[in-house]
Amino acid sequence: MTASIENSHFLLRRLHSLLGLVPVGAFLVFHLWENSQSRFGAAHYNGEVVAFLQGMNYLTVIELLVIALPLAFHAGYGLLILPQMRLEPRRYPYARNWLYGLQRVSGVGILLFLLVHVGTTRIQGLWQPAIRADLYGHMQALLSEPWMLGLYAAGLLLSVFHLANGLATMGIVWGLTASVQAQRIFGYGCLTFGLVLAAIGIQGLLGFLP
Amino acid sequence: MSRQHRTAASEPEPSAGKAEPDRIHLRIRRQDRPESRPYWQDFAIPYQPDHNVVSALLVLRADPVTIAGERVEPVAWERNCMEEVCGSCAMLVNGVPRPACSALVDSLAQPIALEPLPKFPVVRDLVVDRSRMDRTLAQVKAWIQIDGAWDTHAPAPRTSQAEWAANYLYSRCMSCGCCMAACPQFGPHADFVGPAPLAQVRLMNAHPTGRYDRVDRLHAIMGEGGLSDCGNAQNCVRVCPKAIPLTTAIGELGRQTTLQALRDLLG
Amino acid sequence: MTAAPGAIVIGGGLGGLWATLRIADAGFPVQLFSLFEVKRSHSVCAQGGINAVLDTKGQSDSVRQHIIDTIKGGEYLANQPPIKSMCESAPGLIRTFDRMGVTFSRTPEGLLDQRLFGGVKHKRTCFAGASTGQQLLYGVDQQVRRLESLGQVTKHEWWEFLELIKDADGICHGILAMDLRSLEVRAFRAEVVILATGGFGQIYAPNTTTSTACTGAAASRCYRQGARFANAEFFQFHPTAMIGRDKTRLMSEAARGEGGRIWVPRNPAERRAPKAIPESERFYVLEEFFPSYGNTVARDEASRAIWHVTRQLGLGVRGTDRVYLDLTHLDRHFVSTRLGAILDIYRKFAGVDPLDEPMEIFPAAHYPMGGLWVDFERDDSGGMRAESPRNHATNIPGLYACGECDYAYHGANRLGANSLLSASFSGRVAGESAVCYLKGLGADRATLSPTEVERAIQEQASLNAGLMRSEGPENPFQIHRALGELMTAKVGVVRSNPELEVALEELQTLDTRLDRIRLGDAKAWTNQSLSFARQLRDMIRLATVVTRSALARDECRGAHYKPEFERPLPEGKFPGDPEFEDYRADWQANNARWLKTTIAEQTPEGTSIRFEEVDTSLYQPTNPRDYR
Ligand SMILES: Cc1cc2nc3c(=O)[nH]c(=O)nc-3n(C[C@H](O)[C@H](O)[C@H](O)COP(=O)(O)OP(=O)(O)OC[C@H]3O[C@@H](n4cnc5c(N)ncnc54)[C@H](O)[C@@H]3O)c2cc1C
Ligand code: HEM
Ligand code: HEM
Ligand code: SF4
Ligand code: F3S
Ligand code: FES
Repeated sequence: MTASIENSHFLLRRLHSLLGLVPVGAFLVFHLWENSQSRFGAAHYNGEVVAFLQGMNYLTVIELLVIALPLAFHAGYGLLILPQMRLEPRRYPYARNWLYGLQRVSGVGILLFLLVHVGTTRIQGLWQPAIRADLYGHMQALLSEPWMLGLYAAGLLLSVFHLANGLATMGIVWGLTASVQAQRIFGYGCLTFGLVLAAIGIQGLLGFLP
Repeated sequence: MSRQHRTAASEPEPSAGKAEPDRIHLRIRRQDRPESRPYWQDFAIPYQPDHNVVSALLVLRADPVTIAGERVEPVAWERNCMEEVCGSCAMLVNGVPRPACSALVDSLAQPIALEPLPKFPVVRDLVVDRSRMDRTLAQVKAWIQIDGAWDTHAPAPRTSQAEWAANYLYSRCMSCGCCMAACPQFGPHADFVGPAPLAQVRLMNAHPTGRYDRVDRLHAIMGEGGLSDCGNAQNCVRVCPKAIPLTTAIGELGRQTTLQALRDLLG
Repeated sequence: MTAAPGAIVIGGGLGGLWATLRIADAGFPVQLFSLFEVKRSHSVCAQGGINAVLDTKGQSDSVRQHIIDTIKGGEYLANQPPIKSMCESAPGLIRTFDRMGVTFSRTPEGLLDQRLFGGVKHKRTCFAGASTGQQLLYGVDQQVRRLESLGQVTKHEWWEFLELIKDADGICHGILAMDLRSLEVRAFRAEVVILATGGFGQIYAPNTTTSTACTGAAASRCYRQGARFANAEFFQFHPTAMIGRDKTRLMSEAARGEGGRIWVPRNPAERRAPKAIPESERFYVLEEFFPSYGNTVARDEASRAIWHVTRQLGLGVRGTDRVYLDLTHLDRHFVSTRLGAILDIYRKFAGVDPLDEPMEIFPAAHYPMGGLWVDFERDDSGGMRAESPRNHATNIPGLYACGECDYAYHGANRLGANSLLSASFSGRVAGESAVCYLKGLGADRATLSPTEVERAIQEQASLNAGLMRSEGPENPFQIHRALGELMTAKVGVVRSNPELEVALEELQTLDTRLDRIRLGDAKAWTNQSLSFARQLRDMIRLATVVTRSALARDECRGAHYKPEFERPLPEGKFPGDPEFEDYRADWQANNARWLKTTIAEQTPEGTSIRFEEVDTSLYQPTNPRDYR
């Protein structure tokens, strides 16, 4: 009776799916919401938003367990299944086919973005306390470089797309949306969610600009 | 071309057509053996308005001379029913996987490019080996477990018309493999069983007797190459000539496997 | 060469798969051969349905009525015990199919739905949407795949049966088959062989509704090796088939039933589009010939009328064979809801909407009633004795036949929706008989001489090599075309002895032309031309059997129609009238002479024909067919 448990294939894949949403997806929403507060200025951002986070007990443990590990698993497993793709966008120019391809491409994009992003913020902050002390200033400095701004914009949009589209496919994967109609309606729901999230994210980015 | 004209042109004598082509130009990707290199050849046969790709190939095989005037070996391809129900003749017609017998020449841009159905090993020319579909059907146990093929004298269980209609959609699959060819997750590189066998699991699981062994089938599609390997590209449902709601089946199986996993986990 | 006793089944249509199931269920290993994946078999083409008396429609239908309808439909030419058993088993078969997962259409209460089909008064036909044959075939295919996964069945798809292996006593011990990819010829041993290779409509190609694999080559090969062929002259033509270059596709009779009218322009030189031809210049063929029935006249009558108008009066559309089947005068909505499936087929394959333009149709070769002769054993109730090794045995010991390639159930004409039934039922019975045969085998099984087998393999291989090297002026595909045209023209719907004589000569010519072909393909790999050229030889042989049998039968019965020997019912006279009684006496005298199975056998001199008594023990022919 437990054949599906003994064979990890299914559970791993579902775990990947689930982690994409919680905590990784949830973190993204929260993170973008957090950063959208940049428009209230350095004092508020550093004093309220970052301080609240940095003041949390067991922060490192939480960061590792709730963000780093799930993300690493999701990304790692994502990279593992990536080579299964044989995309033929010209032969099959259907929207869903494109989205399928973009989901995978965006995953890689996000990964590259994260290396730079987390590397220059959280990691670099490990040995440069100044960064952690004034994250607002640090981000402002970073984003003043046009190419860095572009990279952030891209990373942001890819992540938002990846989450919104991932949410839509999760509906099918978990069996919440089966009929064509249900999938379409939920798809539009995810699109709306994505647009709102993108707006929040862009707004946050713009808040760091002088 | 007007409908009137089309009917008038089906007479044997040449018609006084306006812009009507006088020949059908076929570009065929050929391959002598499974391991040999593919190459292209161009052919032309006299135009007739009621040709489909299979009937054109039938004409061609009687006189296989390329446009360049070279006599070559007849093109190998599969067909049987010529009514779009046996599934033999699936190939790429102008780049799209579809049954060739229902591909009317008049509705195709010329030259008409014919290639073997991708994802399956080429046997010769347009013939491919789709035995993998049979193996995957066995892998997902797409059958109903009965004691033997005899009459139990129990009347057939009642099935509502609505339920019948939903099931019937899936039973029309003719194993042509078009959906498999179009699926970006399916191919020689991967274990994925592909959409058609999944749809059969959906069908069998809904059968009054088949329900009893649905767990077996669910476990089969929860293993390697199973349902999880679908990436929801949904090309399958777009190319299926029988309009089988493959993605609905995949969604329904998603739900069934979710519940089954919970049952398994909770014992 | 001693192997565990097992069976070889050739053919993976409904017949072959049923036989496979039964033998494997009984615990004997089965090797299943097919030209392609079994799911591509011609059985998938059947759309209409399968007969079985379930009486879910409250019409007090009875199995006895099904039996009588089948007997009368075949004009008494079929042996009655097998028919009885078949009709009695039908409901059980349907239930078994349903259990296997076949999606039979349902009534609003959820019961198995049944509909009316040609030639009967009761709703007796089970169906699964518009794809019954496919559903039934897939049902058994799944079961066979299950047994295959258990190791009880071994499939050899892409293998072509070439010849039987017989021992010195003429007992069949296996087959030679050719791998259609590598062209390797190999011997396969088994103690019993079941042939389920379907029909042979391709001798009329392209004027046939059958699939391209329906060449009858396998049956013809058995015939060449001594199997009897029975009732070959009876070939059912379907009156309304849409003409195509590759095949003629079936248009259900429903089109006429719902008000479709058949007509041709009165002027043979007419070149206008059909809708531009005024009413007064149209010849409504069936309405003029059969004023009381009009367009709903029976299949064979309709076929003959269309034949007469095109081939004899030369009134076919634009000088061709075609006639119009017109729906354009009917209400579009009504037609769309009633005939949706047919309209789709026509649109799909003709690219024309039958609601805008009349369809162009012609009678097409549809179903051969004849086939390999098979035996049966009668039981006390007058049916076929269950579990007798004689049932469905051919005259070659160890060789059984079932499905469309046998002759057993349809007599001179097949009732619509009875052949899916006969294919399934006969497959089951043949499987059971084969099991009995296997169980009855003594330990003293003859051993085959390996050198003999080796010699046969070499012969086949050198035949292949010879064909691949051939460099003659003829082309096999053109010869096939000529065969189809010849058979359609001279051995078709209407026959006459002088034409049949000519046909025999022309068949001989085709056969010699085949000696001088150029294959144009010397590759020893998936050489489709090679396999085709080989089958063509067998098709010509079968066509000769058909023609010889037709020549021998000087009467009109069922699908076999020779106007010279027609006995028309006396107009306006009914039983009791002296004219009618004279007619009845005449009819009975004719039966005494011709109510016989035609048996063809291959002899060194060619085809020999003789006649055999028919078992009419259940329902004596006392009343002539009278549809008035
Ligand atoms: C268009 C159409 C519609 C029909 N509709 C109906 C209907 O509505 N109701 C009804 O009752 N009947 C119908 N029929 C008839 C019915 O479909 C057939 O009689 C029946 O399916 C025959 O089944 P079978 O198993 O005998 O042969 P098939 O299904 O023809 O199978 C033959 C098998 O033999 C194999 N084979 C052949 N030669 C060789 C060889 N040399 N070596 C190895 N294998 C070989 C093939 O691979 C195939 O698997 C219809 C027929 C046609 C043409
Ligand atoms: C709007 C643009 C963004 C801004 C301004 C931004 C800003 C920041 C900052 C300031 C940090 C450092 C936090 C710290 O050191 O405590 C951080 C960390 C991080 N960011 Fe972003 N970010 C943005 C977009 C994204 C996106 C799109 C992702 C993708 C999911 C992302 C993922 C992360 C991760 C994983 C960390 C490390 C978190 C931790 O371990 O605490 N960020 N980001
Ligand atoms: C870092 C690199 C990442 C990679 C390589 C990656 C890869 C993938 C891939 C390949 C899928 C498709 C799985 C499938 O449908 O079969 C996927 C799905 C998903 N990803 Fe990611 N991802 C990455 C990061 C992220 C991030 C940062 C998030 C969150 C913002 C995320 C959220 C999701 C979600 C929600 C799904 C949907 C899962 C499903 O369809 O079941 N991924 N990811
Ligand atoms: S699901 Fe459709 S495309 Fe796929 S094999 Fe079946 S009929 Fe062909
Ligand atoms: S195309 Fe393939 S990825 Fe899934 S939705 Fe269809 S099976
Ligand atoms: S020939 Fe059967 S599907 Fe085309």
